[in-house]
Amino acid sequence: MREASAAAPRVVQPVAVGSSTTAVLRTANAPLVTLPLRFIVTGLLALFTGIGWLIARPDILATYHYNQYVIAVTHLFALGWLCSVVMGAMYQLVPVALETRLYSERLAKWQFAFHLVGFVGMVWMFWTWNMKQVGHFGSVMAVSVGLFVYNLVRTLARVPKWNVTATAIAAALGWITFTIVAGLAIAASKCVYDSETGLATAVGVSTVVGGLRAVARFIARFDQISAMHAHAHLSGVGFFTLLIVGVSYKLIPMFTLSELQNKRRAALSVALLNIGLVGSFLTILMRSPWKIAFALVIVGALAIYGWELRAILRARKRANLDRGLKYFLTAVGLLAPLSLLSLILTWPSLPLNAFTGQLENLYGFLGFIGVVTFAIIGMLYKIVPFLAWFGVYSRHVGLAKVPSLGDMYSVRLQVLGYWSFLCGLAVTSGGIVLSSNTIVRTGCGLLALSAATLAINVVKILSHFAQPRIIPLATTKSTRTSPK
Amino acid sequence: MNSTTVTEAAVLDALRGVIDPEIGCNIVDLGLIYDIAIIGTKVKVTMTLTTPGCPMHESLCGGVQMALLNLEGVDDAEVELVWDPPWHPTMMTEVGRAATGVRTG
Repeated sequence: MREASAAAPRVVQPVAVGSSTTAVLRTANAPLVTLPLRFIVTGLLALFTGIGWLIARPDILATYHYNQYVIAVTHLFALGWLCSVVMGAMYQLVPVALETRLYSERLAKWQFAFHLVGFVGMVWMFWTWNMKQVGHFGSVMAVSVGLFVYNLVRTLARVPKWNVTATAIAAALGWITFTIVAGLAIAASKCVYDSETGLATAVGVSTVVGGLRAVARFIARFDQISAMHAHAHLSGVGFFTLLIVGVSYKLIPMFTLSELQNKRRAALSVALLNIGLVGSFLTILMRSPWKIAFALVIVGALAIYGWELRAILRARKRANLDRGLKYFLTAVGLLAPLSLLSLILTWPSLPLNAFTGQLENLYGFLGFIGVVTFAIIGMLYKIVPFLAWFGVYSRHVGLAKVPSLGDMYSVRLQVLGYWSFLCGLAVTSGGIVLSSNTIVRTGCGLLALSAATLAINVVKILSHFAQPRIIPLATTKSTRTSPK
Repeated sequence: MNSTTVTEAAVLDALRGVIDPEIGCNIVDLGLIYDIAIIGTKVKVTMTLTTPGCPMHESLCGGVQMALLNLEGVDDAEVELVWDPPWHPTMMTEVGRAATGVRTG
């Protein structure tokens, strides 16, 4: 027949494709689409709440960050928005990208319940600064993270071909575990244990309380702000950044029709990120002047990552990058100013004053909102259309004309969201540096506009579940019809 | 028993109804179809995907089978997925390359 057939293909993986037209909402490897979708919708609600909160209270960003409101909003973004979406996406992507099967969907459903209760309770209790209850809800969150990590570790254990993406995911799972342990230890250090003597007869309870008191004494050795910063870096670098780096080594080549160009370079970037984070955690915690050395290791890792990503993009076969990828790659580009800021903030002789305090706010904002949020929105424009398309149209392929992923949302809104996000990021950053409530509120208004475009597009995409756009093909046999 | 004779051209035409939703191009012009074998009323298609681990894997393979079974004169259809030789843009047709902007260099 055509030129390709002359190559005499060697069959390496026959696929059993049944003749059944049974409606399916899952692939062989990935879970039901409703599982990741519930995490993603929860995450989006947290994002909208968080941005609304910042518009109502711009002082959260315009003043120094060591107060209960900043901590509450940070956990809303980190746990409610970012963790929700990342966890849901990982349940979908890890089995597909690594060609394996999710260990347990049931565990994932239980994890969602713990996650929801855990993060909502934590944010609420941080806001009211009830650290005892933060500890309780944090424990619920720890159960959630434990179930998540266990499920994915068992999933990774089945991966047929271990690669740099699997390594990065495995390391990220270790870091999220460490993050939650460190967070619980910090919460324990802020509690008062005056009830311990009254529990002397209840051996089990008094042992737990005694243990918490010992943890509190240990954590009290460290500067409290440094402990909080070290905890934040575990999640920001160890979980989110490591996942962005590792997963993009698989997804960027897949979406751009390219290939990983240098496996050693990719592995080196992941290894250096881990080494840098170990050193950064310890030096930040101990307020050591050596923290700049480990910041340089992390910046070096990100530079190597950028180098490999550039090589992947230069070798791509798809000339045009879609807007979702542009979101993601712009977010990766924002790692450059973030890295520069990290070097400034780790400079040994940097004075601690109101201005540098605002630079620390800017660093956290650029990290969690600039880089991670923008990257995740870009990936959501890949994941959510796929989930809806798979749930609605997969079983109609070959029998009917179905929309492509790009037909399921408005590209104009997507472009508006892209630019309003970047403008919002720039304006809010200016407001943070200048400690201006008005400018921060204006910037967050632009971020809200971007979030609104995302919300409308997500509704458009999910509306395909209610109103599928299916046009039967003209060649259909009279005896066979598209399944309901 | 079906009396209609199936031709390769008819099979290719039917397979043009199967679109890769990520790239927005049908799998024939995308160059994913490696071979078509027609034995009486049975059609066997050997195909590939643009990348191993493609999330559209089952949708496309299932779609190919449905398109074949939907064809007059076909009573049995088999789809075989292979990775060797790996897909490359040079396998695309001119129509596919023009429609998607995928380059071969």
